[in-house]
Amino acid sequence: MTQVPLDALQAALATEHAAVWAYGLAGAFLPEALAGQLSQAVAAHQARRDATERALIDAGAVPVQAEPGYVPPDPVTDAASALRLVITVETDAAAAWRSVVGRSPAGPGLRAAALDALTRAAVQATHWRAAAGTTPSTVPFPGAL
Amino acid sequence: MSGLHPSRRRVLAALLAGGSAVLAGCTTSTPAVPERPDPLEAPARRADADAALGNAIAQTHASLAAAARAFAADRTAHATALRAELRRVRPGPAANSAASTSSPPSSPASPAALVPADPDLAGARAALATTVRGAQDEAAGLAITLPGYRAALLASVAACCASHAVVLP
Repeated sequence: MTQVPLDALQAALATEHAAVWAYGLAGAFLPEALAGQLSQAVAAHQARRDATERALIDAGAVPVQAEPGYVPPDPVTDAASALRLVITVETDAAAAWRSVVGRSPAGPGLRAAALDALTRAAVQATHWRAAAGTTPSTVPFPGAL
Repeated sequence: MSGLHPSRRRVLAALLAGGSAVLAGCTTSTPAVPERPDPLEAPARRADADAALGNAIAQTHASLAAAARAFAADRTAHATALRAELRRVRPGPAANSAASTSSPPSSPASPAALVPADPDLAGARAALATTVRGAQDEAAGLAITLPGYRAALLASVAACCASHAVVLP
């Protein structure tokens, strides 16, 4: 019996695919002042996506593919709508990785990686909320639905 | 006729005694070990102490008020959620004692509840930063070791505290 929660991990991978796509769309509308945050977030999601694919392959699963396209919840036309999209992206990522935390075996392996992914998503969402002027910029339970 | 009442009472008393014996049996058969403290008691106390410190700093230093008050609000929410989980697993006296925040803090995790904010701004800022990181570290450690739902709860607590750390003034 496998110790890897394949369904939760596949869902997290699907969320990372969507995140990479969404940043490609939103990035064009974010102000230059947020370029550093943007490249950091994009690199984090690409690395997480690749690591999750490897983990699934190692567990004997076929990683889910990226969709050919995604529909953002609202049209992205300016900096404000771009920020709303990337806040949604990080909120979704936090939820997906929290689910992996709750389903993976205790210990430093997958559980720790999922905790790190949840934490980074929560921190990135906080940066975006602060940039959007949302107060407070934190939420009490990142990833909880 | 009046002689029936005592015997009825005795029957009722016997039934109630039997009932509570059954309930007691159920309580002791739960997975939690009553003698050991629940691992969520320490983070619940820390969350209360952090909330008290955050509110004290917010009242003392205007330039830290927004961040300290936001941290206090989230730590209060953490304490509430942790206590709810404590009560779910162990309803009764243990949960009650854990929930009584008004009792004198005897545990090393709760002295901050009685400590006023540092009147020095730099000192208060440093205390807030140390407290936020300490809360994150404790929650992250438990998120790695605790089972299922509790791990997810503590992971959210850790992620929340990490978020506060990056927006501290």
